[in-house]
Amino acid sequence: MKQDIDYDIFNHDFVWNPFPTFDAVRESGCPIVHSDKWGGSWMPTRYEDIVALAQEHDVFTSREIIVVPPPPGQLEGPYGGVKAPPITSDPPDHHWHRRAILPVFSPQSVATYEASMREFCNGLIDGFIDNGRADAAADYAQRIPVNVIARMLGVPVEMSETFTEWVRGALEVGLTNPELRRENRMKIIEFFVGQINERKANPRENDLITDLLRLEVDGQPAPLEYVIGVCNLMLVAGIDTTWSAIGSSLWHLAGHAEHRKQLRENPELWPTAVEEFLRAYAPVTMARIVDRDIEFQGCPMKAGDRVLMTFPAANRDPRQFERPDEVILDRQNNRHVAFGAGIHRCAGSNLARLELKVALQTWMERIPEFTLVDPTAVTWAGGQVRGPRQCLVSF
Amino acid sequence: MCAIAAPEVFGSDDIGNAAILIEGDIPADLEAKARRAEGNCPERAIEIIE
Repeated sequence: MKQDIDYDIFNHDFVWNPFPTFDAVRESGCPIVHSDKWGGSWMPTRYEDIVALAQEHDVFTSREIIVVPPPPGQLEGPYGGVKAPPITSDPPDHHWHRRAILPVFSPQSVATYEASMREFCNGLIDGFIDNGRADAAADYAQRIPVNVIARMLGVPVEMSETFTEWVRGALEVGLTNPELRRENRMKIIEFFVGQINERKANPRENDLITDLLRLEVDGQPAPLEYVIGVCNLMLVAGIDTTWSAIGSSLWHLAGHAEHRKQLRENPELWPTAVEEFLRAYAPVTMARIVDRDIEFQGCPMKAGDRVLMTFPAANRDPRQFERPDEVILDRQNNRHVAFGAGIHRCAGSNLARLELKVALQTWMERIPEFTLVDPTAVTWAGGQVRGPRQCLVSF
Repeated sequence: MCAIAAPEVFGSDDIGNAAILIEGDIPADLEAKARRAEGNCPERAIEIIE
């Protein structure tokens, strides 16, 4: 096996701009590389390989889906078994784990949030529009998905900043700081245990947590670990990912006057534009654990190895996309895998698409012209979820 | 995705999985939309048969 390119998923340059590394690996003789860093992982870069990995879920399992191993001790203690179903579930349980949550994410269900989402976005803009500048990531993008998810879960929206802090602790900053990660995971779990106990005492109508507690599986109530795990997933996966996609899209628009103009003059392009932002700036990289020793595309993978599901790399593969590094707002054939593929394809994609559309349209209606204050001052987070964290714009 | 590209042809069932809404052949006026759905399905689950 030829291997001459190493990678480090938390390296500053890679987080800021991973695409040159993806391209170099993809066009080398070895488009799947291995690194010993951060517990070790394989990194595929071709669209075809990443889709194949996603579809072979019996070999590439979801028993761990974070890009680094769990912190020591996570699997012990009373909540050691709490995961994030259905994303951490393998068949056969995966099927009921997923089926139980799909209805809340159907296009019809998420559409009921559109009007309030627009109102919330406008309220955020009201707060800073007279300043002539704002942080498109921290003052806007970051605040939108958490508000929607809190309402979907029936938990206090006033706690949005706390939820954001926990999620960043568990999924962003915590990935290179095991103690912080464990601490924030426990905060999330303990919060939901409290919410669940409150619903047991006072069941609510039209309430997701109450409905999960009423869910029966083979005549038995769904296990408590499942209910806590679903709430955990919705908070963690529903916040960081979409906020990153909104932030990256605004960062792109701030640097591309021609695209701002194109969207202002051709609002009918919004549906393809949203898909193109998702393709070009796919925020999420997942992981899989190899079930048994196997050779995949010439790579000798061992049972227990971690494989990164590098969706952002797949979405820039020239074998699948013409001019992959260009953002083409009216791209017609766009089989991007920003939401993954196969049985674990994002269950919340309808919600994410709606949030992205509403957040970007509302911004562009109110702030049609804006630019980065200092392109070199933009900061990015990466690893599991890539997106801008500070993105100061003036208008 | 198909339901966005061709809402007259594709929708979703009660749990949000994709479903075909029409029976028989795709009407000529919806063919372009259906082709766009085919070209944007990341699962390659759509095949339009001539």
